[in-house]
Amino acid sequence: MKRRKFLKATGAGFAATGLAGILAAHRAPVFAQANTIHILRWNDFVPAADKVLREVYVPEVQKALGIKLNVETVNANDIAARATAAIQSGSGPDIIMLLNNNPQLYAAGSVDVSDIAGEVGKAQGGIYGLPQAMCTVGGKWVAMPWATVPALISYRKSWFDEIGVKEFPKTWAAYHEAGKKLKAMKRPIGQTLGHTFGDAPTFAYPLMWSYGGQEIDAKGKVVLDSKETVESVRFMTQFWKDAHDEGGLAWDDTNNNRAFLSGDISATLNGASIYVAALNGADKFKTEKGAALHTDILHAPLPTGPKGTYPYHTAFTHMVMKYSKNVKGAKEFLRWAHTPANYEKWIVVQKGFAIAPTSQWEKHKMWDVDPVMLPFKTASQKGRHMGFGGAPDKKAAEAWNKYIIVDMYAQAANGKMKPEESVKWAAGELSKIYT
Amino acid sequence: MGAGGAAGAALPGERVRVSRLTRMLESEKLLAAALLAPGVVILVLFIAYPFVMALWFSVTSIRVGDAGEFVGLANFAKAWSDTIFQTAFKNTVFYTFWATIFKFALGMWLALLLNRHFRFKRLIRASMLLPFIIPTVLSAFAWRWMFDPTFSVMNWLLFHSGLITDRLPFLSDGEWAMWCAVLVNTWRGMPFFAITLLAGLQTISPDLHEAAALDGANAWHRFWHVTWPLLLPVTLVVVVFSVIQTFSDFQLIYVLTGGGPANSTHLIATYAYQVGVASGLLGEGAALSLFMFPVLFAVVWAQLRFMKRMEGA
Amino acid sequence: MLIERKWKKWVTFYLPMAVFIVFTLFPFYWMAVTALRPDHELYRTWRQASATPFWTLEPTLEHFKELLQTTAFPQWLWNTMLIAMVSTLISLICGMFAGYALARLKFRGSEFLGTAIFVTYLVPQTLLFIPLADIIRDLHLGNTPWALMLTYPTFLIPFCTWLLMGYFKTIPKELEECARIDGATRFGAMVRIIFPVAIPGILSAGIFAFTLSWNEFIYALIFMSSAELKTVPVGVVSELIRGDIFFWGQLMAGALLGSIPVALVYSFFVEYYVTGLTGSVKG
Repeated sequence: MKRRKFLKATGAGFAATGLAGILAAHRAPVFAQANTIHILRWNDFVPAADKVLREVYVPEVQKALGIKLNVETVNANDIAARATAAIQSGSGPDIIMLLNNNPQLYAAGSVDVSDIAGEVGKAQGGIYGLPQAMCTVGGKWVAMPWATVPALISYRKSWFDEIGVKEFPKTWAAYHEAGKKLKAMKRPIGQTLGHTFGDAPTFAYPLMWSYGGQEIDAKGKVVLDSKETVESVRFMTQFWKDAHDEGGLAWDDTNNNRAFLSGDISATLNGASIYVAALNGADKFKTEKGAALHTDILHAPLPTGPKGTYPYHTAFTHMVMKYSKNVKGAKEFLRWAHTPANYEKWIVVQKGFAIAPTSQWEKHKMWDVDPVMLPFKTASQKGRHMGFGGAPDKKAAEAWNKYIIVDMYAQAANGKMKPEESVKWAAGELSKIYT
Repeated sequence: MGAGGAAGAALPGERVRVSRLTRMLESEKLLAAALLAPGVVILVLFIAYPFVMALWFSVTSIRVGDAGEFVGLANFAKAWSDTIFQTAFKNTVFYTFWATIFKFALGMWLALLLNRHFRFKRLIRASMLLPFIIPTVLSAFAWRWMFDPTFSVMNWLLFHSGLITDRLPFLSDGEWAMWCAVLVNTWRGMPFFAITLLAGLQTISPDLHEAAALDGANAWHRFWHVTWPLLLPVTLVVVVFSVIQTFSDFQLIYVLTGGGPANSTHLIATYAYQVGVASGLLGEGAALSLFMFPVLFAVVWAQLRFMKRMEGA
Repeated sequence: MLIERKWKKWVTFYLPMAVFIVFTLFPFYWMAVTALRPDHELYRTWRQASATPFWTLEPTLEHFKELLQTTAFPQWLWNTMLIAMVSTLISLICGMFAGYALARLKFRGSEFLGTAIFVTYLVPQTLLFIPLADIIRDLHLGNTPWALMLTYPTFLIPFCTWLLMGYFKTIPKELEECARIDGATRFGAMVRIIFPVAIPGILSAGIFAFTLSWNEFIYALIFMSSAELKTVPVGVVSELIRGDIFFWGQLMAGALLGSIPVALVYSFFVEYYVTGLTGSVKG
C-alpha cells in the first residue's frame, strides 16, 4: 500500500505539470464505461471465425444486451505474456482466451464460472471430459470451455494408394512401414518436434500413452522412466529416421501446413486447417496431376500402440478475469455467446476445424456437408490430458510449457541422446517439478 | 568557480541583485542536481524501482496471481542445477563470443574499406546501415524464411551451384542453428561496428600514415602500429555496448528458433521468458534473468577500469 | 606497374566491397522479391523445378495494397513514428543535461552517478516488464502512447548520456569560460554555446535512439492492447501471422515499408552521424 501511495503522489505531480491533460488527449478511444467488454483471443487459424466475432457478434450483442464488445486478437504465443502482465498488474482484458490447461496456471486470477458451465452443460448434452478437466480446479470451474481443436492426421490419399495402402494404417508399426516406402519416394511424413504449442505435444503425449507410458501415477510420483516409455522413444527414433522429414525438428505449427500444401510431405498431424486452406485456395493448391489438392486429402486418427490409443486435443477456453470491472457483463456475454443460435454462427464457419465442447453439436447438420471432415465430429469424445495419472494441474501445465515430453522424443530423434538417456533426462526434469 | 559573480556587468555603485534562481543555476552542485533530475527520475521510476521489485520476485515463490512466500536463494539454486539453464548459459556465452568477434573483425574490415574514396561513397555507406535499421523482429522472420527446411533460398542456391546434394539442416540441428543465429546477429550488428569504427578512423590524421609510410612501413604495419592503437578507445566502447546487447538478446532467438530444436538454442533471456511468462513462474524467471548480471557487470567494470587507465595515460 | 596496381585494387578493395554489399543487402533484395511475388508463387519448395527465388516474372503490388488497405499498417507507422520521436526527444534532453552535468560540473558523487546510469543499461527488459506493468497501471498510462514514450527512455538515456558526455569532454573549456566572462550564466552558456557546437554528437545520439525505439518489441506488446495503437513490429507480427498462415508477401512488404522512415532519417544524417561519433570517441 505504501507503494501505491508513493505512486499516487508521483502521479499527482505529473498531473500538476499538465501531463494529465496530454494523457487524456492521447488516451485510446475508451468506449462508454458503462458496459464494455474487452476480450482477448488468438488470431484464429480460420480467419472467417474472427470475422464472425467482429462483424456478427459485436453488433448483435450490442443490440441484445447493450454490451460494447471490443475484440482483440494476437498471436497465440503472445497470449501468455499478456495474461501474465494483466493478472500481475491487475488490469487488462475482461475475458482472456486460454489454451490447454493454462486455466490451471491462472486460476488465482479467475472468476468462478461454474454457473455458466452448469447451465450450458445441462442444456447441450454435457461438456466433454477433456475440456472439463482443463477448466476445473477442485470442482470449481475457473474457465468456460469454448471449443476444442482436434488433431487428426491429414494425408494424401492418392500417394497412400500408390504404395498399396488403401485404408490409413491403424497401428504404429503399419504406419512405420508405409512411411518408409513414402520417404523412399521423397514423400516423407511431416511432424514437428519443436517448441510449439499445437502439433508437437498433441503428437508426443499420445505416442507415449499408446505405448503405456505416463508422467505420474495417482500419488503424484514420477513414473515416466519405464520400459514402456523407453520402447516408445526407441520406436520414434527409428520411425523418425526411416519415414520423417528430418527438418521437422525446427518446425513450428505452421511449417507442416506449408510443407503439406506444397506437396512436400504425405501425411501430418494437424487440425483441419490444412484441408480448410486447400478448400479455400482450390485454385492455388494443386496436386502434381493438376487436380485441386483438397480432393486428395483425407483425415484419420493417430494409429494405435501396444497399449491402445489415447488422443489429446487442444482445448480453447475463456476465463473471466477477477480484476475485471465488468464481471457481470462478461458473464452475460458468455451466456449469450453459448446460446445455440449464437454459438452456431461461430462454429459453422469453422467447418469442423474447431468443435464444440458439448456433445449436442455432434448431431448438427454441418457434419453432413463434407464427409472428409467427419472424423473430427467425434474426436473429442475420448482423450487424455497432460499429467495423466494425476490431475492436469499447475505442475502438469509447467511440464507441458517446458516441452519436456516433446524434447524427450526430439533429443533421441536427432541422435543427441540414446532413448534410455533421454527418458532418464525427462524423468529428472519432471521430478524437479513434481517435488 | 564563480558562484554569484556573473550576473552581468554592474554600473559602479549600483547594488547588484542576484536572483535566487541565478544563484542556484550558478552553483555547480545545484545546477548538476537540476540537470540530472529529469533523467534520474525516469530511470529511478522505470528501471530502479521495477528492478528492486524483480529482485524481490527472485527470492520468493511468486507465480502468476499468487504472491508466494519468501524462499531465499531457492530459485537460484534450482536454476543452477537446471540442465536447460546450463545449456542456455553456455549458448549465451558462445553466441556472444563468436558474434562479437565476427562483428568486430568484419566491421573493422568494412570500416577500412569505407574509409577510402570511391564513387557512390555516400549511398553505399548509408545502405550498409540497413540491417541495423530494420526492426529485428522483421528481419529475423525474413532470415527464418530463408533458412526454412522446405523453402530455403540458401538451399536452392547451394544446390544449384552444385555444392550440396541434400539440404542443409540450418535450423533443425542444434549446432547449425546456433551458428545460424550467430550469422544473423553478425549480419545485424556489423553495420554498427563498421560505422562507429569508421568514425574513429576518420579522426586519425592522414599525416600519421604518411609519416609511417615514409619510414618504410607497409599496409599491415601501418595498421598495427598507427591505426590500431588510436582506435582502441572506440573499439572498447563499441565492443562493450555490443556485448551487453548480445548477451541479453531476446528478440532474435525468440523469432528465429524459439529456443529449439530441443532447447539447444535457448539463451538466458529466452529461457527466462519461457519459464517466467509461458509457465507463469515469475520468481524462477526473475532468478534466471539475474544470472546475466554478474557477467555483464564484470564486462562493464573491466571496461571502465581500462578507460580510466587510458585517460590517465 | 599500372596493371599490378589495378589488380591489387581489385583484390583488396573491389572484391571484398562487393562481397560485403552482397552479404548486407541480399536479404533486402530477397525480401523485396518476396513482397512482389504473386501468392501462387510463394509456396514453391526449393526442390521444385519451377522455383525461382531470385526473380519473379509476375511482379504484383497486391501485397503492398492489401497491407495498406486491409490492415492498420499506416496507423502503426504513424504510432511508431510518434512514439520514436517523442522518446528520442525526451532521451536527448535528459541525456544532454545529464551528459553536461557529468562531463563539466564537479560535484560529489558524480562518478557514482555516472556509473549508476551506465549500469541501468544492463538491466534486461524481459526482467522488468512484469513489474513495469504494475507501475504503468498505477500511473494510468496503460494502453496509451505515453506508456512507451516514458519507458523507452530507460534504455535510451544511458547511451545518450554516455555518448554526449564523451563528446562534451572534447569541447575546449575556453569556449564556456569566454561566454561566462561575457556575463552568461552557466546554464545559458551550456545552452547557447556548448549545445550548438555539439550538434553532430547530439544528432548521432538522436539517430541511434530513434533506431532503438523503432525496434522495440516487448514493451510495445505488453503495454498497448488496442489494435489502432500498436507499433509496426507488434502490429506486423500479430496481424500478419495467423497461426498456420504467415502472410509472407505482406510480411515482407511490411518489413520493407517499416524500415523506410528510419532509412530516410539515416540518409539525411549519416554523414553527421559519422562525424558526431568522431567527436565523442575522441574523449
